Amino acid sequence: MTKPRIREELTLGLSVPSRRTVLHWAAAAAVARPARGLAASPGAPIRFGLTPVFLNNDLDLLARLQAYLSRSTGQEVTLVQRRTYEEITSLLLSGQLTAAWICGYPFIAAAAELSLVAVPVWRGMPLYQSYIIVDADRAATRLDDLHEDVHAFSDPNSNSGYLVTRAALAELQRRPDEFFRRSFFTYGHRNVVRAVAAGLAQSGSVDGYVWEVLSEIEPELTQRTRILRRSEWLGFPPIACLRRLNGAPETSALRQALLAMNQDAVGADVLKQLRLDGFLEAAPSLFDGIAAKIAQVRSFG
Amino acid sequence: MRSWARRMLRTINPFRWPLAWRVPLLVVLLMLSVSVVITDRVLTRLADSQTRHLAQLSDAYLDGLSSGILPHVVREDVWEIYDALDRARQRYQGLDIAWTVVSDSQGRVLASSHPREFPLQSHLSDRIKLGDSADPKPAMTEALGRAHLRRDLTYQGRTLGVVHAEVRIEGLIRERWEVLRTLVMTNALLTLTLAAIGYVAVLRMMRPVRVLSAHLRSGAEGRMSSIRESELGPPNSEFGQLFRSYNTLLGSVSERERLLAKLAEEERLAALGRLAAGMAHDINNPLGGLLNAVATLKRHGEKPAARETSIRLLETGLRGIRDIVRSSLATYRRRDDQLPLTCGDLDDLQLLLQPEIKRKRLSLQWDNRIDRPLAVPAGAVRDAALNLLLNGCAASPIAGTLTFDAYATKAGLVLEVGDEGPGMPEVVLRYVNEQDDGQAPLSEREGLGLWMVKRLSRESGGCLSARRKSSGGTAVQLVVPEAATAPQSVQQPREERRHVA
Repeated sequence: MTKPRIREELTLGLSVPSRRTVLHWAAAAAVARPARGLAASPGAPIRFGLTPVFLNNDLDLLARLQAYLSRSTGQEVTLVQRRTYEEITSLLLSGQLTAAWICGYPFIAAAAELSLVAVPVWRGMPLYQSYIIVDADRAATRLDDLHEDVHAFSDPNSNSGYLVTRAALAELQRRPDEFFRRSFFTYGHRNVVRAVAAGLAQSGSVDGYVWEVLSEIEPELTQRTRILRRSEWLGFPPIACLRRLNGAPETSALRQALLAMNQDAVGADVLKQLRLDGFLEAAPSLFDGIAAKIAQVRSFG
Repeated sequence: MRSWARRMLRTINPFRWPLAWRVPLLVVLLMLSVSVVITDRVLTRLADSQTRHLAQLSDAYLDGLSSGILPHVVREDVWEIYDALDRARQRYQGLDIAWTVVSDSQGRVLASSHPREFPLQSHLSDRIKLGDSADPKPAMTEALGRAHLRRDLTYQGRTLGVVHAEVRIEGLIRERWEVLRTLVMTNALLTLTLAAIGYVAVLRMMRPVRVLSAHLRSGAEGRMSSIRESELGPPNSEFGQLFRSYNTLLGSVSERERLLAKLAEEERLAALGRLAAGMAHDINNPLGGLLNAVATLKRHGEKPAARETSIRLLETGLRGIRDIVRSSLATYRRRDDQLPLTCGDLDDLQLLLQPEIKRKRLSLQWDNRIDRPLAVPAGAVRDAALNLLLNGCAASPIAGTLTFDAYATKAGLVLEVGDEGPGMPEVVLRYVNEQDDGQAPLSEREGLGLWMVKRLSRESGGCLSARRKSSGGTAVQLVVPEAATAPQSVQQPREERRHVA
């Protein structure tokens, strides 16, 4: 039986974060280094990248965030959105972004090139979980029950939307391509919830933070799904920058703006809409759990 | 039962209905025919228009969808295909899309707007009947209220997949039913209105005909009357001219009736004269014998034998005179009496005929078999019988035979007079056998007598008929039904007889 092309890409993608993708990102960083990147040009606007981990479908929220950051940093801030984590990570590593809100998985994968700017605080902690969700009426209780499912992943470079489930299957000595009948990527955590709620997928891997926020703002969507499995608490997707730009003024200005966000009315409103408490500085060790999962997956092969 | 069925058939036969019903019925039938044709055309055009409109919307939907999902179909990107279908469903509000499925070239589901009904990788042919790719039009299944759409997804000359969609068309079908209902109601209202107008118009147009018909019917029943001035209408109108012509005709007929009655009276008087002459002759004959008997009594009254013989002669002679007088009285008393007819009422007529019988040396075969009093107008029947007998005498050759036959049936009286004459002329025969009075052949002498008999027959509710006998001559028959009322006492004629005795 011929596997669909997307599955081949998916299979390749499983090893990419550790080899090809990281090499690609490293190459992008090397290319960017001589020119220091567009984001580091004097007088250039701050280019802030957003990944689908963020609720990027609310244009009003984006406008308010941009307005707050511009006012707070005293510089023009441009929000850069791309469809996949890989695109944003590549832009960040190639120096085309001042900083980006990325996932912990690519942060660990490119840890040699990246530094933490700030980490969001959700429900008092800079931590979140990965959920495996199923149809609300489904009787499954364990991961094993999802055998031969059509499974929806969020992004091949997402921790909660791919890596955690991949690691859980590795614990069972299984790989997604042979455990699931079919899997596909939706490139958005909300899309994973939509796919499971509509019955397109029988199960899905989703960011626990996104699912919880959606259960408040779109309960009719999440009510059609049920959480089958919660992961352990892992480092919340951070704001990262190129390590060499960590001390740059625009990076510092951006960091200060993020850290002081909960003290500003507009910033607090943005945080309220994001259901976040604020931002804090954290050590990379916050993401050791993710690093362990990467290692676990790599060891399984 | 058969007569009931025939009556029913006559009742439901539209050709026997009044004109005021038939015209509206014709209007209704015409309007129904027109309505059926118009409704069919309108619904056909509406269906064509809806199909064309649906095809245009479907093309727009499938065109936009195909171009949007083709790159994803090439990559078999399940989520992007689903996302495109989901967004398109909300975007194309003009189409009420039930579901959309994208399959690969083998018919396996790549994605659908309703994944629970069409799971990924399931075979589409197991769930729906796949349409013909050569037919770009929507396949409408009106019974289910659905239309099936299909579009092949081709890239570089290769068919990579197919888009199937089902559209709800209940709204279109409902619209057709609403149009049909509107048409039916409008046409029904129009038909009823036109039928009512037709009914009223025909009633108005037929009013003069009804007036004329009523007068003609009254005339047939013997109560002829002219149309009133107020009903004549304008003189230059069709019915105005007709009514005036009718009144003129009626005047002529009345004048003719009057003249006929006058002629009949004159003939009656003439007959009376002849009768009086005959009576005088019949009375004169015994008078000589009576006077001789009186003279004998004067001279030989003391002789018992002579006296007895004279008295017997006197009695015989006086009896003969009494019979003649009584018969005359019975004949010329009031004809409108209601006395029943007895056998003797007709036998008396032989005395009145004697002068004619003797004059033409006729042989009279008299057969009166009436065995009970009959509730028929005796005077009118006697007059009619006398006229028929006199006509028979007139028609018979010298020394011919005249027959008279009378008998009673359950229905009434039947009497027939036959002669050996040359036979009744055809025109007279036809006149006698006609049901109505018709045109009396006044040029014939017999005609006036027959006209009188016919009038008497009509007055007594009887029926007159005539036929040519195979042996020569004519037989005229008069049938008079008995009245429903019981026959009155026959005392009156007896009293008359006492008076004349």
